[in-house]
Amino acid sequence: MATPVVDNPGALGLPYSDPPQRRAPRTSLKLRNALVGWTFVLPNFAGFAVLTLIPVLLLFYYSLTNWNIFGNADWVGLDNYARLIGDKSFHVALGNTFYYAAFHIPLTIAASLGLALLLNQKLRGAAFFRTVAFFPYVTSIVAVAVVWNMLFSPEYGPINQFIGLFVGGELPGWTVSKDWAMPAVIIVGTWRYMGYYMLLFLAGLQTVPAELHEAARIDGASVWQRFWNVTLPCLRPTMFFVTVMVTIESFKVFDLILVMTEGGPGQATLVLSQYIWQKGFEQFELGYASSVAVVLFLICIGVTVVQFLYNKRRDA
Amino acid sequence: MAARPTALRKTGRVLLYLGMIAAAAGILLPFAWMVISSLKTNNQVFTAPIEWVPDPFRWSNYVDIWIKGDMVTWVRNTMTVSVVVTVLQVVTGSFAAYGFAKTRFPGRDALFLLYIGTIAVPWASYMIPQFQMLSSWGLANTLYSIMLLQAFGAFGVFLMKQYYESIPDSLCEAARIDGLSEYGIWWRIMLPLSVPALASLTIITFVTTWNDYLGPLIYLRDRELWTIQLGLQRFVGDYNAEHALIMTGSVLSVLPIAIVFLLGQRYFIQGIATTGVKG
Amino acid sequence: MNRKTIATVGAAAAASLALTACGGGDASSGSEEPDGPVTISLAGWDFASTPEFETLATAYEEQNEDVTVELTEYPAGEEYDTALTADLAAGTAPDVFIVKNLKNYVTFQEGGTLLDISDVAAELDPATGGLEAMAVDGATYAVPYRQDSWLLYYNKALFDQAGVDHPDGSWTWDDYADAAAELTDGIGEDDVTGAYLHSWQSTVQGFALAQTEGATLDSGDFGFLAPYYERQLAMQDEGSQPTYATVTTNELAYQSQFGTQKSAMVTMGSWYIGTLVAEQASGDADEFEWGLAPAPQFDESTTGTDNTPVTFGDPTTMGINAGIDDAKVATAKDFLKFAAGPEGAAALAEIGITPALIDDTVADTVFALDGVPQDDLSRFAYTTHETLPENPVGADTAAIQTILGDLHSAVMSESDPVDDAIADAQERAANEVG
Repeated sequence: MATPVVDNPGALGLPYSDPPQRRAPRTSLKLRNALVGWTFVLPNFAGFAVLTLIPVLLLFYYSLTNWNIFGNADWVGLDNYARLIGDKSFHVALGNTFYYAAFHIPLTIAASLGLALLLNQKLRGAAFFRTVAFFPYVTSIVAVAVVWNMLFSPEYGPINQFIGLFVGGELPGWTVSKDWAMPAVIIVGTWRYMGYYMLLFLAGLQTVPAELHEAARIDGASVWQRFWNVTLPCLRPTMFFVTVMVTIESFKVFDLILVMTEGGPGQATLVLSQYIWQKGFEQFELGYASSVAVVLFLICIGVTVVQFLYNKRRDA
Repeated sequence: MAARPTALRKTGRVLLYLGMIAAAAGILLPFAWMVISSLKTNNQVFTAPIEWVPDPFRWSNYVDIWIKGDMVTWVRNTMTVSVVVTVLQVVTGSFAAYGFAKTRFPGRDALFLLYIGTIAVPWASYMIPQFQMLSSWGLANTLYSIMLLQAFGAFGVFLMKQYYESIPDSLCEAARIDGLSEYGIWWRIMLPLSVPALASLTIITFVTTWNDYLGPLIYLRDRELWTIQLGLQRFVGDYNAEHALIMTGSVLSVLPIAIVFLLGQRYFIQGIATTGVKG
Repeated sequence: MNRKTIATVGAAAAASLALTACGGGDASSGSEEPDGPVTISLAGWDFASTPEFETLATAYEEQNEDVTVELTEYPAGEEYDTALTADLAAGTAPDVFIVKNLKNYVTFQEGGTLLDISDVAAELDPATGGLEAMAVDGATYAVPYRQDSWLLYYNKALFDQAGVDHPDGSWTWDDYADAAAELTDGIGEDDVTGAYLHSWQSTVQGFALAQTEGATLDSGDFGFLAPYYERQLAMQDEGSQPTYATVTTNELAYQSQFGTQKSAMVTMGSWYIGTLVAEQASGDADEFEWGLAPAPQFDESTTGTDNTPVTFGDPTTMGINAGIDDAKVATAKDFLKFAAGPEGAAALAEIGITPALIDDTVADTVFALDGVPQDDLSRFAYTTHETLPENPVGADTAAIQTILGDLHSAVMSESDPVDDAIADAQERAANEVG
C-alpha cells in the first residue's frame, strides 16, 4: 500500500502520448472523450476567449502600430521593437523587474511554504494566525504603503531607529534612496503576498495523505526526511502552480511599487508594468506600450515553459 | 532523562507562540494604523513622527462615512459583483479544470498554455481594446461589465487543474468502472475532494473582486453603480484628500472579509487524506 | 435660441453671434442652430467637493432656458484622465470635457478628439490667463476657464513670534531662504519649520521654468534648474524645511503642515485660499492670521509692488468632443464662451475658485469671502502676476515631465548630485524624446 498515492501528473507536459486504450472502438471513443473534454472546458472558454483572448490578441496587433489610443492605428511593422533596443528607460525597467523577481520569487515561496507548514499543524489559535497571515493581502494597498513608508522613514522610522541601536554610521535611506528602495519594496512585496500563497500551499498540503507520514515516521524518518520525501513530492502540482503564479506576478508587479515609490527615486524602482502605464496612459503611446507588454509576456511565457519542462523531467 | 525532552518541547512551544504573536502583531500593524487613522481628524493622519494615539478620538468618522459617502450603495454593488464573479469563477473554473486535468482531447495542452499566457499580460495593456468592445455592446457603465471582466479568468482554471492532478487517477478509474459519467465524477468525487482548493479559490476571487479598483474606475460612472473602492477614492480630491474617512471606509470594507475568512477556516484544512483515499 | 450678449463682444463676436443666431449660415463650422431644447453633456470630476461644474452649468441654464447641461462624473486626480481617455477611445465621452492636464492637450488634439474652436477663442478677452498659449499651429482647441497661480502663503502670527518682518513683495528666493532660516531659529520649536516644500516636482521646477529667462522644456537643456535645486537642498540641510525624505515617507500634507502651524510659509497654488478658509472654519486648521505675498522671484528685476511678479500655474481648459452631434456644436461653443468669459468667472469666484479671467469683480468677490486676508499685499499678490504654464503646450511635454519627475525625486532624496541628475535627464531627453 505504501507506494506514493499521487499519480503522475503527466498532463502538464506539452506533447502527450496516448495511454493504451483497452476498451472497444478506438476512434469513436477518442472522439467521444474529446467531446466530453470540450464540454467541460467550453463554458469557461467561451467567456475567456471573448473577454480576454481577443483583446490580448489585439494587443499583439497594436504592438505593430503607432496607436495613440485615439483615432487610427497606423502599421509600423517592427519599429516599436527596434525602438525598445535603444530605449534606456526600458532597459532600466527590465533590469529592475528582474532584480525584483530574483528576490521576490524565492523569498515569497519560502515564506509562504513555511507559514503553510507551520499553520497546517494542530496548533491552538492556528485559525487566528491563518487569518492574520492573510491580512496583508486584504488590507488596502494604500494603507500598506503608508505604514511601510513610515516604518522605513530614514529619520523618524522605527526600523532605522532599531538598526541604529546596533549599527553606527549611515543608515539605509530605504524608499528615498536609490540603493535601498528596491530592497524595501521587495520586503513589502513578500510580506504582502506570503499569506496569499500560504493559502494555496495549505490547500495543497491537504492532499498529503496522513498514512504516508505515519508510515515514514515508523520507518524512523526525520522531520526533514519526511518533508523532503513525502510532503514535497505530494505537493508538486501545487508547487508548480505557486511557482508559476509568483513568477508571473513578480514580473508584472505594479500597484505596490506605484503606491510605495512611484518608481523612484529617479528610476530606481521603475518596473516594466509601470513603464507600460507611463508610456500608454501618461504619454499616450499605447502602440509602443503594447510592444513592452509583448516583451513582458514573452519573458513570462519563457520562464513558465522552462518550469513546465523542469517539472515534467522531475515527473519522468 | 525522559523529562528533559518534554521540558525542551514545552520551552520550544512557548518560544514558538511568542514568535508567532510578535509576527502577528507586526503583520497587523498596517491594519492597526488604518483603525487608528479612522479615529483622527484629517490633518492628524499624516504627521512626522507617527501619532499612534488619536487625540481626541474622533468616532464621528464612523457616522460621517454613511452620510458623506453612500456606503450602503457601495457595499451592495460590491457585494453583488463579488458574489456573482466568485460563483461564476468557481463553477466554470473548476468545471474547465476537470477537462484539462482528467480528460484528453487534441490541443488540450496548447489551449491550457494559452490560458496561462494571458495571465502574463498586464491588464492595463489591453484594457482599452476590451473597453471599446464592451462599450460597443452597451455594457460600459453597468455592473455586468465588471462581472464579465473578472469571472472567466485563467487563475481559477489553473488553480483547480493543479489540485485535481494531485487527486489520483485511480479514483476516477474506479468510478468509471462503477459506471459514473465524467460529469458524475466531477460532481460526486472531484468537488467534494477539492474543498480546500475551492475554499482558497473562493476567498481569493472574492477578495480580488472586492478590492478591485482599476476595473470599476474605467467602467463605472454613475453614482448608483460605484463600488467601495471607487466610492472611497472620491474622498480624494485634486488637492485635498479626506484620509481619515478613507481609512474609516477601508476598515469597514475589510471587516466582512475577515469574518468570512475566520468562519471559512475549517474548509481550508479539510484534508482529502482523511476522506479515505487509499493507494 | 435665447442668447445673452457677452460683455466682451467685439466685432468677431458680433459676426459669430449673427451667424449662430441665424442658424447654419457658416460653412466652416457646419453647425446648425436647433429650434427645440438642447442637452449637452459635460465631463467633470468629483462633484461633491468640486462644485465648479455644477455652478457653471446652473448659471448657464439660468440664462438659456432651453438648454440643459448634463453632468457626467469622473474621478478626481490623474484618474480623471485615465477614465476620460477610455471613454474618448470608445467614443462614449461627453460633448464638452475638461482638458485637465495641459501636458495632454496636444495628444488629445492630435488624436482628433477636440473640435477646432478658434472662433470661441477669438471672442474671449485676450487677458484671459493662459489663452494665448493654447494655440496649436494657429488654431485653438480648448479655452481656459480657470487658472490658479502660485503664491506665497505665510503665517503672520509665527512671523511675529519669531520677530521676522512680514514679506513686503520684494523677496527673491534668497530672501525667502533667509527668512525661513530666521523663522526656524526664532520660533525655536522642534517640530516647527520656517518653510515647507511639498513633494511635487512643480514646487521647484515650475518656478525655475517660469522665472528663468529663455528656459524651455523642449530645448532639452535643463541647466536652469540647478540654482533652484541647490537652494532647496541647502534649506533642507539646514533644517528650515522638512526634508523630502520625511515629506514623502510620512506623506506630509501641506494643508496640515501650514494649517496646523507646523510651517510658517508655504508656496502653493491659489486654490489653497478656498481650502484654508474652509478648514479654518471647520476646525481642521488652527485659527491664525495669515497673508498672501507674491511668489519669491529669481532676481530683483521683477520684485516690488510696482513690478509684475512672475509665477507659474497651468490653466484648466475646456474643449468640445470632436464626436459631438452637429446639432449641438453651436450650443456647446456658446457654453464655452460663457464659462471662459466674465460671467463664468464671476460665478466661479463666488465659490472661491480662481477663474482664468481675473477682473475687479472677481477680486472683490474673492476678497469678500469670510476669512480671506484683507491686507493690500494679499490683494496685490492675488491680482497681479505674470503666470506662465508649468506644462507649456507641446507634443513632448508629457514625456519630458516624466523625465524631470525622476530628476526631482533623485535630487531631492539626495540620491544624485544636482549636476549629475541634470546631465542624466538631458541625456534621457535626447534619447527618448523626439
